[in-house]
Amino acid sequence: MERQARSRRPSLAEREERLAYLLLLPTFLVILLIAIYPLGKVFHSSLTNQRFASGEQVEFVGLGNYKILLGLTIKELPPTIDEQTGKPERNPETNQIEYVRPIQVLPRQPVRYRELGQFSLLGKRYVIGASDRDFILAIGNTLVFTIASVFLETVLGLIIALVMNSKFKLRGAMRAVMLIPWAIPTVVSARMWQWMLAPTRVGIINVLLQKLEIGNGQIPFLRTDAWALPAIIAVDVWKTTPFMALLLLAGLQLIPQDIYEAAEVDGAGKVRQFWSITMLLLKPTLAVALIFRTLDALRVFDVFQVLLAQTRYSMATYNYYQLIGNREMGLSSAIGVIIFLFIFVFATMYIRLLGVESDE
Amino acid sequence: MKTTKVMMFLLIGLLVLSGVSAAAEPVNITVATGAVGQELEISREAAARYMELNPNVKITVLDTPDMVQDRLGLYLQFFEAKSPEVDVYQVDVIWPGDLAEHFVDLYEYGAKEVAEQHFPEIVENNTVDGKLVAIPWFTDAGLLYYRTDLLSEYGLEPPTTWEELETAAKKVQAGERAKGNEDFWGYVWQGNAYEGLTCDALEWLASNDGGSIIEFDGTISVNNPRAVEILEQAAGWVGTISPPGVIGFAEEDARAMFQGGNALFMRNWPYCYSLGNGPDSAIAGKFDVSPLPAGASGKGAATLGGWQLSVSKYSKNPEVAADVALFFASYEEQKARAIQASMNPTIMSLYQDPEVLKASPFMGSLYDVFINAVARPSTVSAPRYNEVSTLFFNAVHSVLTKKSTAADALEELELDLQDLTGLQAR
Repeated sequence: MERQARSRRPSLAEREERLAYLLLLPTFLVILLIAIYPLGKVFHSSLTNQRFASGEQVEFVGLGNYKILLGLTIKELPPTIDEQTGKPERNPETNQIEYVRPIQVLPRQPVRYRELGQFSLLGKRYVIGASDRDFILAIGNTLVFTIASVFLETVLGLIIALVMNSKFKLRGAMRAVMLIPWAIPTVVSARMWQWMLAPTRVGIINVLLQKLEIGNGQIPFLRTDAWALPAIIAVDVWKTTPFMALLLLAGLQLIPQDIYEAAEVDGAGKVRQFWSITMLLLKPTLAVALIFRTLDALRVFDVFQVLLAQTRYSMATYNYYQLIGNREMGLSSAIGVIIFLFIFVFATMYIRLLGVESDE
Repeated sequence: MKTTKVMMFLLIGLLVLSGVSAAAEPVNITVATGAVGQELEISREAAARYMELNPNVKITVLDTPDMVQDRLGLYLQFFEAKSPEVDVYQVDVIWPGDLAEHFVDLYEYGAKEVAEQHFPEIVENNTVDGKLVAIPWFTDAGLLYYRTDLLSEYGLEPPTTWEELETAAKKVQAGERAKGNEDFWGYVWQGNAYEGLTCDALEWLASNDGGSIIEFDGTISVNNPRAVEILEQAAGWVGTISPPGVIGFAEEDARAMFQGGNALFMRNWPYCYSLGNGPDSAIAGKFDVSPLPAGASGKGAATLGGWQLSVSKYSKNPEVAADVALFFASYEEQKARAIQASMNPTIMSLYQDPEVLKASPFMGSLYDVFINAVARPSTVSAPRYNEVSTLFFNAVHSVLTKKSTAADALEELELDLQDLTGLQAR
């Protein structure tokens, strides 16, 4: 009976469902056109050796691009043997065993592996080789940048948001002022910082440090390994903390004041209130803010491009360099796909960890 | 239904009209040029002169990004789309090899007669498989700028060898610092890891008989004792006669120091000459230029720079476009550029033109430098020159920053270049 009835006339729920799909259709089409299609296109070209703006024959290379980008190998470094004694040579000064140069151990065919680093394990010496050293280093740079900058921005942003949330004179004006760094286009602020970080006493940072008797006013921050990433992170923290603070401030304002009053009555101290009420109720906002910032940081392009150019890459600047500089469209598409996967993994992780769930 | 019919009529009408008017309409030509300094203004004037002579042609001068890499990025997007939007492109001296497939052979459009007026080195650089893909427009070469007042104060002559430069730089640097200018340095140049370092380091190599990275015949020559020697010598300048920060310097950083009166010597392109004599310069009238010092070869070397004009294969009017390009690169137009903006002509006879010599005397005295400039190995390594250059300047940079010895860096570089280009080492 029931089945017959349904076949004759769809129930209200079914009709509504159908209507819903119909109404969603344009959105699906738009997503298909502007998101899925380009993504598929990138994925497709990542499997070829296509060159940008070139009439050269395009060949299908399978996962070749990915192999080159992610190829890693570990080889044992044998000690150099003294020909006369037959024993390992030792450094005359430190008495350390000398090892052969990595270039002699790392494979050269079908692609050359370059030294990424060395380590010792159980008395043996090993070398790590990468077939695309710059990309592996770019992944490292991007991850360090992401973790450090997002952490600092969250902590500082939270502090600023808490201050801004309290009542004081000129609060509105302060909130506006706070946003200035965020309002400046990154390329402009990166350029500004480039001048401030200038390698001579033209740069104000060098002048200030010299006054504090650090360095001689000639520190090339952006070209020194130890300084480059911290400098970049500092620039990003300066720029993006206001954004973080703004998001968290919005979250703070959603917490009703009477909960604090109730806690006060129950005898909870300020510290306890902060952890049990503020942090707990801020969690959804914090999660959204963290996802925003992390995904943004993983795609970082402008600060790296302006300040470090070809000396040190983020994943995105390496992608740009391969596409525009070397016109390797296939390879750079593969890089794009890898960035996509990284972001995907991070997003999923956040959603799991922070319990941001859909309504169901 | 009614509206569709009306629309159809309108459409047909438009088509007919446009067909009729096409015959009388002028030919539109778009020229993509740089906008650094006076470049854009001068190109617009040249376009106006052409349009006066050819009233049926309308030239639009398109300005493009200042940064070379960004400009290349823009061009590549036009090429990828096979766009007829731009007819004539301003092309860097290192690009003809890479971009040849997108340009017409100018020999087929009347360049045969004029090609031999230009520097043969540049014409050779712009010739790919026997086709002239770009007509030389203006040229550049690395020069040594020196302070005439300081050299005579310390009783020194302009250096002709790197050793003389080191000695003079040390002496004057110590003297000026003793006088109280602690920001004074002996020698500033381009040590950042970018195309500019390729230019500087190529000059060191060539001046010391160390080859030019990849030779014209396609052998990789960079790993040789002479090259190792001069790179170690240059690495020794960082922090002694050159500021430690020179490893982050580009052209403008070096010019800022020199023009501010804080350096004795500078390696730079000719454009600094007119700026150095400008009203806001601390050293106006107190400096001069000479060829770069020599190493073991006994002769200084200058890297060839400069810009060309190419006609797009995707142009709708390649004949007219080629005519415009040849007009822009003609004797009269190059002369105008040389006088107004001290841009070095590529036509040899202009270096004897009295009006040009009056405006920029160094063009006459340093004629040899310009005609003997060393080309970067861009044509022989095409379409991979950018990677070759990136590998080279990163190798040199690792030597300058003492991360690697010159011998190790060049050995690795040789392997990298072999893998990349498939060419053989010497």
